[in-house]
Amino acid sequence: MLETIRPKKRTLYLYLLLPLIIYVFTVFVPLVTALFYSFFEWKGGPEKAFNGVSNYIQLYNDATFWKAFGNNIYLVVACLVGQIGIAFFLVLLVNSRQARLKSIHRTFGFFPSTISAVCIGMIWAMVYHNKYGILNWFLTTVGRPDLCEVWLNDTQHIMLIVTIPLIWQFIGYYMVIIFSAVASIDSEVFESAEIDGANAFQTAMRITLPLIKNTMLVCVTLCIAGNMKAFDNIYTMTRGGPGTASMVMAMYGYKISFEQSNMGYGSSISVGIFVLSLLVIGGSQWLVKRITRQVEV
Amino acid sequence: MKKILSLVLVVLMVLSLSTAFAATPVAATALAYKGELEIMHFSTSEESEGNGGSDGFRTTLAAWEAAHPDITLKQNVLANAEYKTQVATLAAAGDLPDVFLLQGMNTISWSSQSLVMDLTDVIKNSPYYADYNTAYFTPFTADGKIYGFPALTGGTCTVVVYDKAMWAEAGYDTFPSTWAEVEKASEYFNAKNISAISFGNGGQWQMNSCFLSTLGNRYTGPEWFSSMIAKGGAKFTDPEFVAALAETKRLFTETKIFNADFNAVTNEDAREYFIAGDSAAFIGGNWDESYIAATLKASNEEKFNNMGFAVLPQPADATKAPDSQNIGLGYAVAINPKLAADPDKLAAAIDLAYEITGPAFSTYVAENYALGGLTKAGDVDLSDKDAITQAFYNWSYVDTSTCEIYDSYITSAVWSVLNTDLQTMTNGGMTPEQVAQNAQAAYEANY
Repeated sequence: MLETIRPKKRTLYLYLLLPLIIYVFTVFVPLVTALFYSFFEWKGGPEKAFNGVSNYIQLYNDATFWKAFGNNIYLVVACLVGQIGIAFFLVLLVNSRQARLKSIHRTFGFFPSTISAVCIGMIWAMVYHNKYGILNWFLTTVGRPDLCEVWLNDTQHIMLIVTIPLIWQFIGYYMVIIFSAVASIDSEVFESAEIDGANAFQTAMRITLPLIKNTMLVCVTLCIAGNMKAFDNIYTMTRGGPGTASMVMAMYGYKISFEQSNMGYGSSISVGIFVLSLLVIGGSQWLVKRITRQVEV
Repeated sequence: MKKILSLVLVVLMVLSLSTAFAATPVAATALAYKGELEIMHFSTSEESEGNGGSDGFRTTLAAWEAAHPDITLKQNVLANAEYKTQVATLAAAGDLPDVFLLQGMNTISWSSQSLVMDLTDVIKNSPYYADYNTAYFTPFTADGKIYGFPALTGGTCTVVVYDKAMWAEAGYDTFPSTWAEVEKASEYFNAKNISAISFGNGGQWQMNSCFLSTLGNRYTGPEWFSSMIAKGGAKFTDPEFVAALAETKRLFTETKIFNADFNAVTNEDAREYFIAGDSAAFIGGNWDESYIAATLKASNEEKFNNMGFAVLPQPADATKAPDSQNIGLGYAVAINPKLAADPDKLAAAIDLAYEITGPAFSTYVAENYALGGLTKAGDVDLSDKDAITQAFYNWSYVDTSTCEIYDSYITSAVWSVLNTDLQTMTNGGMTPEQVAQNAQAAYEANY
């Protein structure tokens, strides 16, 4: 029946060709060229000298790069719990029978993820501002001025401080995805659970979560991929500082490539980010599958 | 139709007014070239409000374009930070525009890769050569060849702007000349919940350009840095430079002279502290001074009239040049060597370079802002300027001795490492010796 309206194979391929070309030129070509340049000593200017794997040896021994990788992992873990965890909790809350003004919650929840990351960074830089920020103002107002500090210069807690805006920004994004997944569950399932005497926590963990497992897996992948390439919020707030305390891999690559004009080594950092991201995403998927299989068995 | 006509008239009037301010007009040299000429720079319209160099650059550029109706300038104007990134990318791709601004520290690496044209003879043949302040060519010279016309205005990178009334209240008629006195004064200001000096190093470059570059000279003298530039044996690990780092660390970690958030805010934020009265003084560059002056003049006449200027105070264990400040021209107009293939176009680019660094530019900035550029503007008549403009002119060009701006030389690969470590050090996370060792390693690997 559908055969009559299905386009010819040739037409289908033609339609696919344009996005494919765009994809190849914006993702595949830069990746291959970065891999190529990573074997050169290329310090700005057109001159390059082949230097084998010495960029990778340098990368392996570069303490700042591994520190940045550690910071990315911190971001991933914090955002998995913060973004997806809180989003899941909020979805259940808004979906509960007692909740009012559901669509308003949905709209406002999603709102921060529509703002550009640079604006978010600037807004939060103001929140954290030592003299004029709302955080220190609040602490002073409630009588705890001793807790006030220069938040963006707190080397010890800077990663937590720059992660909070990231979490805040993307809760709504994951809420929307989880909302649609939860909406697709047959309401009879919840009704029978209620009749059986399941409480809210049991319903969430034993019914909702297993039924939206695949969607959650997509969320986890998106969250990891997003945080392995984190750059803009942190760049606006601290530029990786103080010192290198909030350095993430993408920013380190940027610094090496453009501030230090070391394009060859910068390229090897990009390749490093790509490989490490693949490993983390692959590893996490393997882990999630293993855990869920065990639960099912 | 009437609307269009009146609009055209208004535009013409504004144009004629804006060119009328330039006392020396752009020379309308006859040029054979017809067509487009690309130029990339960072004098944005926002920047030109209050910043004399940017205003002069834009005005002269517009006048040059008006004088050569057959040539269309294709301008790519970006804010300074974005400019640096984009020009580095274009250089790496070998795709620089016809005319652009070369930063001093890139001269050696870019000239060795033929990214910039050797302009030595072009400069010597300039109609304005006799009036050039030739010392400004140094950062743009490599192996005896000159690669650019120093552009914009030669302003200080390290000036202490202070509020005379506030310091008089604290018991100082002029700004203290030693850090010990500033430290003592800071107790008085801190008791009133005011910082003695506000400073912003959030961008990481400020500690180098607007502090260490001058403080270092007080310990090492100019010979040390000349030797660093010439690879003449000086090292970042030399005891004099390490002493300068140690003093920097002490001032920022052990005293309460500066605002607590100096490493988290930029110079733009820190100067607002001064304007708002949250600090009694501010350390920054000439671009900050002109912003503060313009803002206060419009909003707080009394505070404007109380503005004073001073050099960085002298550390107790420093022995050199106590009245020095780092001044220079950080960028130069450079020409793409590819233009050699089209002599007419090259002649147009050279004429443009002559004019935007020539008398049309320098008389404009001298008369409107009391600033100097590559070409000497003759005796600058300051009589119709307000007292603050006069005071800053005299402070910049007459009353103080000068030293080099570190990051106009060597290479960004070294300064990026040093700047990051300086921030860590002034947070107490590194020793001066470690900072010096890292900088020296980057110097040996990249220069």
